[in-house]
Amino acid sequence: MREATRKRVRIAAACCMLAAGMVIGAGSAMAAGAEKYLHVNVQDPEKSESVNVNVPISMAVKILPAIHNNNLHDGKVTIHNTEMNGVDVRTLLEAVRTAPDNEFVTVKDKDSDVRVAKANGNIVIHVIDKKDKQQTVDVTVPMKVVDALVANAKSDELDIAGALQVLSDAGDVLLVTVHDSSEKVRIWVDSKNTQD
Amino acid sequence: MIVLAKIALGMAWVGIASVGVLCSEGLVNVKVAEKQPHGVHFHVIAPAMLAPIAVRVAPRSALAEAERKIQPHLPEIQAALDSLRDIDDVVLVEVRGPDEHVEVQKEGGSIIVDVNDADDVVHVSVPIRAVASTINQIAAAGADSL
Repeated sequence: MREATRKRVRIAAACCMLAAGMVIGAGSAMAAGAEKYLHVNVQDPEKSESVNVNVPISMAVKILPAIHNNNLHDGKVTIHNTEMNGVDVRTLLEAVRTAPDNEFVTVKDKDSDVRVAKANGNIVIHVIDKKDKQQTVDVTVPMKVVDALVANAKSDELDIAGALQVLSDAGDVLLVTVHDSSEKVRIWVDSKNTQD
Repeated sequence: MIVLAKIALGMAWVGIASVGVLCSEGLVNVKVAEKQPHGVHFHVIAPAMLAPIAVRVAPRSALAEAERKIQPHLPEIQAALDSLRDIDDVVLVEVRGPDEHVEVQKEGGSIIVDVNDADDVVHVSVPIRAVASTINQIAAAGADSL
């Protein structure tokens, strides 16, 4: 009788472990399968115009490597030296990546305020252009994305597809906001397929 | 009498099966309505399977230009269509203005484009599978003519 009870208990325990395994497996599969969307929203209240773009990142990651056009090949964009006025973008990004949290650039004059910093695992760029309709630009890029831009690319390339892939794993993030007296632009990543 | 009934039933089944096969790739839905008085209004619903079939039977010379334009972008188009098939339903692009509304969305295996502006209301719905088949047929037509 005891042996039979023990056997039942063992079977029940095995079933519980199997069920727990299935729940954990399903949970991780659902987490891995959560689609991320790159959203672009442009609002111009003066003209009563708006543009909304919602791109599944998985779609962009699949399409980008298929595009071979001008400077874009295999999901990587080639940066020619002349385009950057002699600035080595890769070396610059590498230097920022390895540097501790810090303010790298702070410029304040009558026409503009510029701030470039590394904080909380992000590169943060803040620009106020006082001349042009008091335009404000804020850019936040997770360092993981910066890493991915240069990790698998040649010295004159940036890996856009790789960066997008990392962006999709990085969680919800507000990447760019631009405000001026008439227009508002927002670019962000989240797991909603709408902009509501 | 019974024989006639059996023949009629057989024909009905053949008809239903044919419609089923024709509609297996979904339906293309095109609706255009011009807003001005006496403007053009038309609404066409056709089996999407007809598009690749039409490409297959069309003269090669008529497809040469389309093939020439499509061929360089074929990898991008195929990658886009493949990934469109895989993604959830989503409004990809929406543009709103004082007198216009444009929406491009993926819904249930189809790409849907809606335009509503000062002049027209246009609705186009095309199954992604049919677009892929048609593009492949056009590309293959060019390869065959070589």
